[in-house]
Amino acid sequence: MANKLLDALSSVGHRMSSSMRLINYYWQRTKRNKLAVFGLAFIVFLVALAIVGPFFTADPTAVNFDEKEIPPIGFTTQQSMYDIASNTFTTKEVNGTWKHPLGTDSKGSDMMAMIVSGARVSLLVGLIATGIAIILGTIIGVLSAYMGGWVDNALMRFTDIVMTFPFFLLLVLVVFIFGPSLAFIVLAIGLTGWTGTARLLRSESLSIRTREFVTAAKALGATDGRVVFRHLIPNAISLIIIIATLSIPGVILAEAALSFIGLGDPTVPSWGVILESGQHTLDTAWWIAVEPGIMLFLTVLAFNFLGDGLRDAFDPKSNV
Amino acid sequence: MKNDIVLKVSDLKTYFFTRRGTVKAVNGVDFELERGECLCLVGESGCGKTVTALSILRLFDSPPGKIVDGQISFDSLDLAKCSSAEMRRIRGKDIAIVFQEAQSALNPVLTIGNQITEQIKLHLPLDHTRTVERAIMMLGDVGIPSPASVMSYYPHQLSGGMKQRVLIAMSLSCDPKILIADEPTTAVDVTIKAQILDIFRELKVKRQMSAIFITHDLAVVAEIGDRAVVMYGGKDVETAPVSEIISRPKHPYTQGLIDCLPDSSRSKNRLMSIPGTTPNPMDMPPGCAFHPRCPRAMKICRQQEPTKTSISDGHSVSCHLYT
Repeated sequence: MANKLLDALSSVGHRMSSSMRLINYYWQRTKRNKLAVFGLAFIVFLVALAIVGPFFTADPTAVNFDEKEIPPIGFTTQQSMYDIASNTFTTKEVNGTWKHPLGTDSKGSDMMAMIVSGARVSLLVGLIATGIAIILGTIIGVLSAYMGGWVDNALMRFTDIVMTFPFFLLLVLVVFIFGPSLAFIVLAIGLTGWTGTARLLRSESLSIRTREFVTAAKALGATDGRVVFRHLIPNAISLIIIIATLSIPGVILAEAALSFIGLGDPTVPSWGVILESGQHTLDTAWWIAVEPGIMLFLTVLAFNFLGDGLRDAFDPKSNV
Repeated sequence: MKNDIVLKVSDLKTYFFTRRGTVKAVNGVDFELERGECLCLVGESGCGKTVTALSILRLFDSPPGKIVDGQISFDSLDLAKCSSAEMRRIRGKDIAIVFQEAQSALNPVLTIGNQITEQIKLHLPLDHTRTVERAIMMLGDVGIPSPASVMSYYPHQLSGGMKQRVLIAMSLSCDPKILIADEPTTAVDVTIKAQILDIFRELKVKRQMSAIFITHDLAVVAEIGDRAVVMYGGKDVETAPVSEIISRPKHPYTQGLIDCLPDSSRSKNRLMSIPGTTPNPMDMPPGCAFHPRCPRAMKICRQQEPTKTSISDGHSVSCHLYT
């Protein structure tokens, strides 16, 4: 069994190296869609930021109440302060400084550091949860199509049930039971998010299964596992890539939404958590909520643009 | 002069149980395949040729398909009944098949090399270098120029004739005892057809391999066949050596098929055709399945199925005219 798995994995690796030509071809096609290129560029920038950014920014958890609510560079705000000595409120003008280019939050933590480490969290959440969902969805969808009969029926009805289950309620329930831990939230998103993937892959596999090379593979004596891993899934790989790209932003948004209603993990500064912490100070320090909001907006947009571009590039019928 | 028999199909019945009724695609077929001979299965579309071939390897979808009766004896095994694990060992190793549509029988996302070595690795105990060497040798054997570079090609980079050769090379790569070719010359043009027939003829001489050649083309049968089995409505209606089939066809259906061939000596006449169409396999006519189209049908043909009668050595026919 383990040997078979290794064999399958090594064959995947082998194919990866031998298909640079194909990757180049799809890149040429994707390149023609300017929005997709923008999306890809932004995602690459974001990934780089998430990986190396935290080494260059200040500690995002450092608290300094003397420097709280400093606006981003180029902005000025009025801060009213209570002075104990004279027992009066004084109003002070605060300017953005280069020390905190994106300002600070209400505890005096550096916004830039928080945004950068938030990028790391949000991307990880998106990738891991999507990874879980895609793997589950692919296995269930392909198995369903390949086995047919009662297996197909059972798996698809199970998919229907998971699909109709209110997803947000489940997340609230998970947070209620296990506490607001990011790991459980990611797991919950992954374990419920596979249904669409399963359905799409089932229909795709049903059509691949009837193609003659599948019969030909069986005629050569291939086992079921071989047919699935070498013939069915590789032929559906473009669909899988598109689904993954398009579902990452959904997952990031789901985590942000959960954090926004106060069910996020307060110990990990994801963009949603920062956004939530800024909603009480929208009138005095708008940037605390707006900055992670803009990042979420751009990230979701970038993934959607890239996903659309890839879909057009992979579709042999479209002439991009 | 009875050679040893490598495959014996007796009274094979493969039915498809669909929601709209039972399709009796193969309904009692008998034939024997001798070592080193090329046996042709001939007949119109829908007469059960392909299902017969798929039944030998048990490659039809099950359900709805099922071998309801009969034996397929190979190597002291009954392929109609043996386990699916045994079946997998035989597929590709002992019995290989070449499909009609080379275009769709190759996986578009794998290189030729990947696909041809896959099977060798599966069945033969060779290391990677030897496997690749063997694959290149096989490709060269079927007349592919610079086979080493073709190994890294994807199917769409090859022409139809080349793809067909790749398929033949793949099916031959483990030295099968029996090669089944399902209309390998139908989807290619005449020059490629001639070349592919040459490959088969050469194989027959070089490897002494037994082959089942499925075709609707009597010219192909005359070219490479040793014996022919004419099928109609899921049954074998006439079996004889090819020369005998061509020169002295006995069954009215075989005679009809031969008459349909264009003949340069009577070019002024219209081309002959057999009236009517193949019967609906869900609703076979009673008695002899051919009687509604038969020019020499008698009363008994409508009531009773004809049995096999031996005309001469190796020539048998199922028709009431000869009983």
